[in-house]
Amino acid sequence: MINPLFYPILVPFIFGLMILWLPARWKETTALVASGLNLVICLALFTWLPLSFGCGSWSNQNLLTLDSLSGFILIFQAIFGVLAVVYSPACLAGKKGHTKEYYTYLLWTLAATAGAIFAAHLLLLLVFWNILGILLYLLVNLSPEEAAAASAKKTLIIIGGTDSLFILGLAVIFSLTGTLALGGGHIPLGTGLAYLAFFSLVSAALAKAGAFPFHTWLPEIAGPTAAPVLAFLPASLDKLVGIYFLFRICRDIFVPDFLGQTVLLAIGAATIIFAVMMALVQHNFKKLLAYHAVSQVGYMVLGIGIGTPLGFAGGLFHMLNNAIYKQGLFLVGGNVEKEAGSAEIDDLGGLGRRMRWSFFAFLILSLAISGIPPLNGFYSKWLVYLGLLEMGRSGHSLWVVWIAAAMFGSALTLASFMKLTHAIFLGIPNKALDRKKVREAPPSMVIPAVFLALLCVLFGVLAQQLPLRFFILPAVGSIQPAGLWLPGRAAFLIVVTLVLGVLIFGLGRLKKVRLTPTYIGGEEPDLADHRPTGSAFYETVREMGFISTIYRLAEEKLFDLYELGKEFTLTISAGLRKMHSGILPNYLSWVLVGLVILLWVLAV
Amino acid sequence: MDIFYFLIFPGFLFAALVGLVFTWVDRKVTARLQWRVGPPFLQPFYDFGKLLSKEITVPKQGERISFLLAPFLGLLATALVATILGFSIVFPARGFIGDLIVVLYLLIIPSLAIIIGGFAAANPLSSIGASREMKMIMAYELPFILAILVPVIKSDYSVNINLIMLSQQQHGATAGSLSGFIAFIVCLLVVQAKLALPPFDIPEAETELMAGPCIEYSGGLLALFKLTRAMLLFLLPLFLVILFFGGISVSGWHLLAGILKIVLVLVIIVIIKNTNPRLRIDQALRFFWVNCTLLSILAILLAYLGL
Repeated sequence: MINPLFYPILVPFIFGLMILWLPARWKETTALVASGLNLVICLALFTWLPLSFGCGSWSNQNLLTLDSLSGFILIFQAIFGVLAVVYSPACLAGKKGHTKEYYTYLLWTLAATAGAIFAAHLLLLLVFWNILGILLYLLVNLSPEEAAAASAKKTLIIIGGTDSLFILGLAVIFSLTGTLALGGGHIPLGTGLAYLAFFSLVSAALAKAGAFPFHTWLPEIAGPTAAPVLAFLPASLDKLVGIYFLFRICRDIFVPDFLGQTVLLAIGAATIIFAVMMALVQHNFKKLLAYHAVSQVGYMVLGIGIGTPLGFAGGLFHMLNNAIYKQGLFLVGGNVEKEAGSAEIDDLGGLGRRMRWSFFAFLILSLAISGIPPLNGFYSKWLVYLGLLEMGRSGHSLWVVWIAAAMFGSALTLASFMKLTHAIFLGIPNKALDRKKVREAPPSMVIPAVFLALLCVLFGVLAQQLPLRFFILPAVGSIQPAGLWLPGRAAFLIVVTLVLGVLIFGLGRLKKVRLTPTYIGGEEPDLADHRPTGSAFYETVREMGFISTIYRLAEEKLFDLYELGKEFTLTISAGLRKMHSGILPNYLSWVLVGLVILLWVLAV
Repeated sequence: MDIFYFLIFPGFLFAALVGLVFTWVDRKVTARLQWRVGPPFLQPFYDFGKLLSKEITVPKQGERISFLLAPFLGLLATALVATILGFSIVFPARGFIGDLIVVLYLLIIPSLAIIIGGFAAANPLSSIGASREMKMIMAYELPFILAILVPVIKSDYSVNINLIMLSQQQHGATAGSLSGFIAFIVCLLVVQAKLALPPFDIPEAETELMAGPCIEYSGGLLALFKLTRAMLLFLLPLFLVILFFGGISVSGWHLLAGILKIVLVLVIIVIIKNTNPRLRIDQALRFFWVNCTLLSILAILLAYLGL
């Protein structure tokens, strides 16, 4: 009898292998069966909580466990897996990257995610963590576009580089406590070594989740990578795994002190503001969404940095919410790119009339990410704010900075999504797009997006009754204060009165409206020639004094650790290259110098 | 019962009636400042009724559903704000923790509705106007949040509107202290911008954009937007009075004093409106992000020092 914990790892893995063997035309069906089966298994496991597994010399210690925290992440990764498999065939049909390997990698990603969140031993976690990094590289690399290879390499280097910090952290933890079991001991921060281990592990978690300053791979891969891959990995699973690990670090491995907390909070606040400012001025909507995928991590890091149950609840709930709406946004982006043939916002406009369902989903998802009540994004942000306030009450005076950054960030998020709504769905199309007669994407692409949008409404309106009660609170324990807001009542009132209002106002009157042409200056202009697309909406912000300097430096990639590292390596290797002249006497003299140094060192 | 609170008192109907009366105050004071007589008391009601009876037109190229629904969205969110603020005065027990943050976010929705409506109209002028409205939100939101943290700090870190009010009734109005006064000035300017009144009437800048985001709206839908604006003309001063002047208590003379406070704030807003020319959008952005933000930071520091 195999321990049930192996099923979510083995089932996707074996089906993934099968896809490689089976004929290519069966790949979609096999993947669908596998992900569906996986979802059923994960739901079953969730009802059997808690589970654990140990063997051999580990029999008195767990290797794999499933508790209420990993349990809810497991369910959602399985749901997202199904959505990705449902969405992909129509989106990728006829594209070069649509191979058997694509589905294998998707399934293996599910297996590796399950492994990572089950792992009760840090070495095991490290193994699955690395597999996830490699699978992301492989998936990005499948894209036939030219820029894919370079951006995949960048991703691998950033994530791989922080993985080596992960190993360093593990070594230090082992030397401090003598065990690598997760929850084997709560290490208090305060000594240099403990800080080293803490920040090493934190940077691995932040790189995976895509937080500042390790975020630069995310916008880079957004351009060339296919929408379902972006929706599946960087937008949802990487967030789940990265923030899951950050949470474990802060609650189960270390006991963060003031410095550790403050650094986390500062990273959170900086991530929110910097990434959203970059998002404001993007002209490619996939890149714009990628910057928001970075920015949203800031709220989760803030929540976890607070370090109280309330903060944890806010951070984890936001992680879940973000996975839902960000995935949905990328999927709608995929619909638009597929049907209209471009991801540049200057080429789009007026699609709301032609792609009604996608527009509907997009509007809800973008209001959710901007934190408009009563949607889910608001509720989790609101928990984070309350956590920050609680922190202020207990004497931290910097809370003002964090809360202002977080709330201001959500206004900027709204701004950037309003621009996107205008540029893609409202506004006026250009002539080429108008001639194209764009239609709604096929149902297999629309349904996942609409499903995620409805989930946003549900998790917002019934936040306390559903997600908090079943998923979040069991994982963090009960939260004070009681007497939280029940958005259900407000939402109910709004819906009822909206219906009432429309009825009283007169459906007949709203239906009988007269359509009129648009006049400007008393004439009917050629709208396609005079349309503002939205790409220039926030130029005022970009051109403002000191902000323009920051933008310029950011565009020169001065804040990109990867580019800085590259520059550094190239400078050093340029120096070394000069020594490599091919002239024998020069080499001999190098040898001589070396010998002298060696002798000197040995003699002294 | 909830429906009654939401629709009649202290929600929609009450706020709408008071709001329309407040637009009369606005028009009357404006008229007096310009040496005119001004409209009769019922004029706002006549105007509203007349707009309701007019035909609704919709631009041919626009996105119809968003265009039609946007005015309702803004109106309902405003009614919800009225209900929450009203509860905190009339039935304090029904407030909840963090309602201040909920109100702050709900107050964005009326502007959001105008933006969506303006974008959906597919008119270049309304698009530009709506994008300016969005930029105004970006501009004033930062100093607004910071300034509102001052009464929060003063009332021992509570984000419950009723607790903020009670704490002031015990320890004196927030605006009575230096930090509170500075924060109040910042909030007053933000309210000016939220209402899109001069010098921040940039989104609908008449001489450049005609009516900006509302350019294609007509008849009943325009009436709804106007009604929303009227309700905000009442609710935003009320919000300021709650946060900075100890709010209103519903007993005898106190009620009258409370109403006077709101009207006083309104009159200040009207005077600013009538004495300042419109700023450019970049000037407004700089004004809020630099001047007002620095002022609010100063206010917070002073509040920490107990001033």
